[in-house]
Amino acid sequence: MTDLAMHMMDIAQNSIRAGARTIGIDIEERSGDCTLTLRVTDDGKGMSRETVEKLVDPFFTTRDTRRVGLGIPFLKMTCEQAGGGLQIISKEGEGTTIEATYRTDNIDCLPMGDVPGYLSLLLKANPEIAFRFMYRVDEEEFVLDTEELRELGIEWEAAGMLAVIKEYIRENMNAIDHIANG
Amino acid sequence: MAVIKTLDDLKKRQEEMKSRVNLRDKAENPESLVQVKVAMATCGIASGAKEVMEFFVTELDKRSIDAVVTQTGCMGYCFAEPTVEITLPGKEPIVFGYVDAEKADEIIERYIKEGELVDGIIPQNYNTI
Repeated sequence: MTDLAMHMMDIAQNSIRAGARTIGIDIEERSGDCTLTLRVTDDGKGMSRETVEKLVDPFFTTRDTRRVGLGIPFLKMTCEQAGGGLQIISKEGEGTTIEATYRTDNIDCLPMGDVPGYLSLLLKANPEIAFRFMYRVDEEEFVLDTEELRELGIEWEAAGMLAVIKEYIRENMNAIDHIANG
Repeated sequence: MAVIKTLDDLKKRQEEMKSRVNLRDKAENPESLVQVKVAMATCGIASGAKEVMEFFVTELDKRSIDAVVTQTGCMGYCFAEPTVEITLPGKEPIVFGYVDAEKADEIIERYIKEGELVDGIIPQNYNTI
């Protein structure tokens, strides 16, 4: 995992497998305290306290197709390397929130990566899941809510729309960066 | 391409798309469509599954092939990522390994269009790690 966008896709895939109907993805940068946070919240089936404790163990997985599970251990590794940390809040039957924080003044802070690319694929491949994406830098924010798109009659899963949605996200994230960096 | 920044821009682009892409009536029954599942777990992502999935979505649209492209978890063939499972209507699913854009092109042209088997199939009884 070499960037934040890859982790975002990876953790969102966990939410999908947990049967989530709604997934929230927040990427938030705070220049004041030099932090970059990736937060994924879902209403999937959640986990027990014991399961949560085992999550960071690379040899723990719920799958039977293989004996390792590296998604969460990698995420923990990359944020701790960058002077941040990982927080997991989960309740069985209610859902899970994963929050990874990086320090932006640390040389090991991950680059953003192709967030628009991964996000547009997530939306396209899972039209039945409601996604709410927020990109925030200090006071500026961009929100994409698939429920809102649906209400406006925008069918993001239709043929030819992948590149359009990707471009829409890219433009808006760039605009936020532009304002935030003066 | 004009800038797409507001929801209005999005809507406008959608109208353009609708008139340009001849919207095919998606069959109600997914069994009659080609199903493409791209493995998008940690192993897949790290090996470039995103590029492969983008390729399938874009190219199947362009080549007017009725297909559903979705993402799936790890199928256990982490050594052969990116892996893609293709199900042609009425056929058993087949998993292809080490897929890149070039391979994906071959899979579309030869397997999806012609039903010809191409190199890179992972046999079903293969041991997972």
